Amino acid sequence: MEQIIQYKKEDPGYPERLKNISGAPKKLYVLGSLPEEGRLSVAVIGARDCSEYGKYVAKELGTALGGSGISVISGMARGIDGISQEAALDAGGSSYAVLGCGVDICYPEANRQLYERLKSGGGIISEYPPGAPALACHFPPRNRIVSGLADVVVVIEARIKSGTLITVDMALEQGREVYVVPGRLTDRLSDGCNRLIKQGAGILLSPEDFVRELLEGEVGKAARNLAGKFRKEEAGLAGEKRKEVARNLAGETRRKEAARNLAGETRKKEAAKSMTGESGKEAGNLAGGRQRGALSPELAAVLEALDFMPQTLEQIRVQLPEECQDKPITTYLMRLCMEGLAVQVSPGRFCCVKG
Amino acid sequence: MYSAVYSGALCGVSAYLVSVEVDIARGLPGFGMVGSLGCEVRESRERVMVALKNVGIDMPPCRITVNLSPADVRKEGTAFDLPIAIGVLEAMGILPSGAGEGILFLGELGLDGELKRARGVLPVVRAAEAGGVRQCIVPKANAKEGAVIPGIAVRGAENICQIMEFLTVGSAEEADAVLPVQTVDIGALFEEEVSGERLDFGDVSGQREARRAAEIAAAGFHNLLMVGPPGAGKSMIAKRIPGILPALSLEESLEVTSVVSVAGLMKEGEALVTQRPFRSPHHTISQAALIGGSSYPRPGIISLAHRGVLFLDELPEFQRIVLDALRQPIEERLVNISRVNGNVTYPSDFMLVCAMNPCPCGYYPDRNRCRCSEAQVRRYMGKVSGPILDRIDLCVELHPVDIAGLKEKAGAEGSASIRERVMRARERQKDRFEGSGYRFNGDIEASCIDRYCVLGKEEQDCMEQLYHSLKLSARAYHRILKVARTIADLAGEDCIGTEHLLEAACYRPSLEYWE
Repeated sequence: MEQIIQYKKEDPGYPERLKNISGAPKKLYVLGSLPEEGRLSVAVIGARDCSEYGKYVAKELGTALGGSGISVISGMARGIDGISQEAALDAGGSSYAVLGCGVDICYPEANRQLYERLKSGGGIISEYPPGAPALACHFPPRNRIVSGLADVVVVIEARIKSGTLITVDMALEQGREVYVVPGRLTDRLSDGCNRLIKQGAGILLSPEDFVRELLEGEVGKAARNLAGKFRKEEAGLAGEKRKEVARNLAGETRRKEAARNLAGETRKKEAAKSMTGESGKEAGNLAGGRQRGALSPELAAVLEALDFMPQTLEQIRVQLPEECQDKPITTYLMRLCMEGLAVQVSPGRFCCVKG
Repeated sequence: MYSAVYSGALCGVSAYLVSVEVDIARGLPGFGMVGSLGCEVRESRERVMVALKNVGIDMPPCRITVNLSPADVRKEGTAFDLPIAIGVLEAMGILPSGAGEGILFLGELGLDGELKRARGVLPVVRAAEAGGVRQCIVPKANAKEGAVIPGIAVRGAENICQIMEFLTVGSAEEADAVLPVQTVDIGALFEEEVSGERLDFGDVSGQREARRAAEIAAAGFHNLLMVGPPGAGKSMIAKRIPGILPALSLEESLEVTSVVSVAGLMKEGEALVTQRPFRSPHHTISQAALIGGSSYPRPGIISLAHRGVLFLDELPEFQRIVLDALRQPIEERLVNISRVNGNVTYPSDFMLVCAMNPCPCGYYPDRNRCRCSEAQVRRYMGKVSGPILDRIDLCVELHPVDIAGLKEKAGAEGSASIRERVMRARERQKDRFEGSGYRFNGDIEASCIDRYCVLGKEEQDCMEQLYHSLKLSARAYHRILKVARTIADLAGEDCIGTEHLLEAACYRPSLEYWE
């Protein structure tokens, strides 16, 4: 049986990030571990009933974050939450779920697999004692922990009236930076995001760039912030707490070191990644070039007509030139699926895959 | 005095001869009936007595005994009225002894002696012909139905007086004048079907893939599932599928007519059912009504859809138990019904066409209109049990028709030319399955797939790649091969090509899309 660990606010293991938010939880129950201090963490949040687009972005972002050692914090809900967390774990990263019920309860039940994986690949966190049921009133307060544990909050899809926007409000209150994935004007699921952009939120244009920016700029900043805070604390400390200060200092240096290490590591990683990425990309280009070069003009035209948003066959057909119309376009599309260039989202809808 | 005449009783969709024996003897006056009779057969006593009285025949104060032999098989229905009345008349001496010999009688009597239509005339006449009977007298409303069977003279009578006259006149010519032999021009009936008005595929605007899937399904007798929002044209397409299936052959038509006749659903004066059946039960249908049964077995909707189309609209709304009961009839193409009162078999070789919305509101995955949660969608899809989906070869998604699709209507292909292609594809299948017991590509079992769906090197590679990239199951793999075989048949190709496999793969049914 897994051990549920309790952290009181005054305990040393209690997350530093949470300590200075308003209404910080008095106690945390954790299954697995807490997000590592000093390691960058990003909250990925969004609609439960998301679109294909949302699923796609959540997966890409989760993979990018997980692959570069950034923790993904979310609520383990259906849709965006679960998908991004799963992707992060798949990419070898760590992920942490903040629940609105006891940590011993898997809610929603559909994410059982993710729940089990999180125990070893990160942690399950709640302010509610084990056994607490998933009540509707538990969820808005847990959102403050989601944003509180993160350095940056990314919103992927949100309707105008949604729980996701509650989290965003809390994140802003806590001084967290908010990034938003833009959407189309006509998509109700992107209304919330687009409005946030209008209000001045950061815009996430590509998961890879976002991650790179984070690692380059933000890591240092985060580390500085952390350091600054510790200095302030140190100055305010009374004599009898010197031991603790020393400990803190030691902790700080350890942390600084960790941050440096992390930065170094990430730099190294990035270098490695850019190298492999470069070569990978080259190889990909070669392969892709081969693949795409080998495509017949009809197939190329069909591929051209495809979008990341799933389209119906009718929508695809109207974009095709005359010469593709005689054969059933299903044949072309299935060939693209077979080659791994397109995906059949449902029997009558296709979208292309990032090449 | 003793007399005996022939009649017939139904068992499933076939019939057997019944000998109706009547004896009139001195004794306490009474009318006794024996021979394992249902209550409506017992009531025949009252109808016969009153009908005979009303046509001017006084019943003697004697002891009348009627036996329906074989006496150990349960008999039902009202069609024994006429043979009992004829037997009584003969036993009374009003009709000359032996007048009814070699003739099969069937029909219900009204209290005024009028002859009313009966159920299952076709199977009974068929059994009579097989049993060596050369003449039948049936109600006029059913005469054409019986006349379809060659080698037996079927005469239709309106009332019992006509029959008495027929049996008493001297010469054959005079008898023919009283009750002429009914004739039916079967050729003309079939021609009428081909040239007759029917719902045309030309009315369906847009929906190219759905039309194509319907054509493939019709050509290979595959079961089809259509998924789409309300108003996309699912029911419209389903209703037009019988029209692109090849016309019924005489043998098939007799099978269909037998079932309809046994169910008592023949129209008055109708000789043969020449149109492919199309049955679309409401989703509240009970298991007994769909499969057949009740304590006295009657054919259910699936048997009435024999050789035609069974259309289940709003598939997830059907009770699960009802859908699951479909599994065995789909597999075996016939249905066994066992009840306390008997054990019968009805044919159920139908093409299953199903339609459903993708979610309770119908608009998933259009997230701008659909507010159903993923759980709701999954629950809705989950109502369709896996075993039923396993029996569906083709799945197609329909989308709301936009203005471009509506304009296309003028150019949409009509049923007649689609039917021609389907018939050509079926000819090829007939040649292929000669002597194998299979009839259509949809029938091929997994064990014989390799024999009938032969792939070249390139095609094998293609399937292998599809298997991995689409994460197919073994069952889905086989289904794609079967459907590809039909697509190749439609194209007139002897070998399955990669384009056939790819198109078939596009129509593979799989619930994973909605999960």
